[in-house]
Amino acid sequence: MNHEVCVTGLGVTAPHGSDPGVLFEALLDSRSAIRPIFPDLPKPAAAATIAFDESRWFTKLQLAGVDRVSQLAVAAADLAVHDAGLAMGDADPERVGVYAGCGMGGAAALEAAYRGNGRVSPLTIPAFMPNAPAAQVAMRHGVQGPVLTYSVACASSSVAIAEAAKAIQRGEVDVAIAGGSEALIVPGVVLAWQAMQTLATFQPGEAAGAVRPFASDRSGFALGEGAAFLVLESAERARGRGARSYATLAGWGLSSDATHLTKPDAPGQARALRAALRLAGLQPRDVGYCNAHGTATRIGDVVERNALAEVWGDDFDRLRVSSTKALHGHMLGAAGAIEALITVLALHRRQLPPNANCTQVDPACSLNLVTRDETSAPALEAAMSNSFAFGGTNSVLLFRRA
Amino acid sequence: MSSLKELQDLIHEKYGIEPSKLDPDASMRETGGLDSLALAEFLFAIEDHFGITMPDDDANIDTLGELALLVDKVRAAKTA
Repeated sequence: MNHEVCVTGLGVTAPHGSDPGVLFEALLDSRSAIRPIFPDLPKPAAAATIAFDESRWFTKLQLAGVDRVSQLAVAAADLAVHDAGLAMGDADPERVGVYAGCGMGGAAALEAAYRGNGRVSPLTIPAFMPNAPAAQVAMRHGVQGPVLTYSVACASSSVAIAEAAKAIQRGEVDVAIAGGSEALIVPGVVLAWQAMQTLATFQPGEAAGAVRPFASDRSGFALGEGAAFLVLESAERARGRGARSYATLAGWGLSSDATHLTKPDAPGQARALRAALRLAGLQPRDVGYCNAHGTATRIGDVVERNALAEVWGDDFDRLRVSSTKALHGHMLGAAGAIEALITVLALHRRQLPPNANCTQVDPACSLNLVTRDETSAPALEAAMSNSFAFGGTNSVLLFRRA
Repeated sequence: MSSLKELQDLIHEKYGIEPSKLDPDASMRETGGLDSLALAEFLFAIEDHFGITMPDDDANIDTLGELALLVDKVRAAKTA
């Protein structure tokens, strides 16, 4: 039998803090966490970074060989497990899984190795390996089932959540800790992203408003660091233990463009959108909100708009859309997870985070964008989160009210 | 010259373990909670701290006392 998949726990470590409610309020107020970083770099750089207190989660001894990307993951996953009210003794450890997205791995460990003048920490490799965050989460909670890492660039943690949902649906695991983490705000990686020509440009003093999704004057994204995890369980199990369910993960769609490594493709994105609707048994008009991938690149926003317009057809104007990357930055491997968490909260609270920094909408991106004056969505029944990756993989998560 | 005190201070600074909590004659792995990864990192820190190169072939070190003797030996060889 197919189990219905419930979201029973939320945990986040984000530039806006580690409380989902506080994060959501910051988004409703359009408060940007993007700030200038690394003033010594040749070109101005900005990112959304976290003032993270690792001592809340680790002793000094436990930190040996644990990169920031794993520290953020352990914190967010721990918060999600607590939020779900799970004592891990409740579940058979072999029937619990960790499904974690990570685009790069331990960037700080690698950067330190390059910059060490030949002195390289013997723990660089275990700190750097991209599956370290999942392994650290598993050790923290004694998880003995599948502990898997999905490295699918900007869609990593959206894919991880979709794969976790499949495992719950099929009854392979009873509890899934699903999400992702990314922490690559180090000079070497920021230089590489600048060279890619996808980062937003900004005037001195204007970093906070640098990312303007769907706006005429958009110029790209800013990097962010963070982690987010959801706890997924079957509806029967959640009901049986009297757990609160924030939402039902009703559908997911995965597709590949198979056209270009970095250039997005509307037909490929449309295939993922249709697959998610089909699996959820929903029509486009049933979905009231889309947390867009919305990276604010010149091409990406137009392609996403076109994919949504194609699939939504006559109901396109009813779909309200925002990209929250304007405020928390692009968290790459963690983007899908934090945006899924925001989408779940939007559905749960029937409030929509606005599409910030968009004073003039690009005519080529005409969408029903959420504005700051109108965030209420009293009739919202279903909402989705888009994640479209370099490499051409598209992932859509579609949630229904519990 | 004994390096024991400096090693105890280094462990305290790096891992927050009080000198009184780590008996120099007890196994660091079993009673100190320093697993193989933490020990590898600690040896690296010792090299940085003393400006020495620890031999690669001495994997039998189990207690802080033994480690202090080895560090003494390497430091003595360096100054000789």
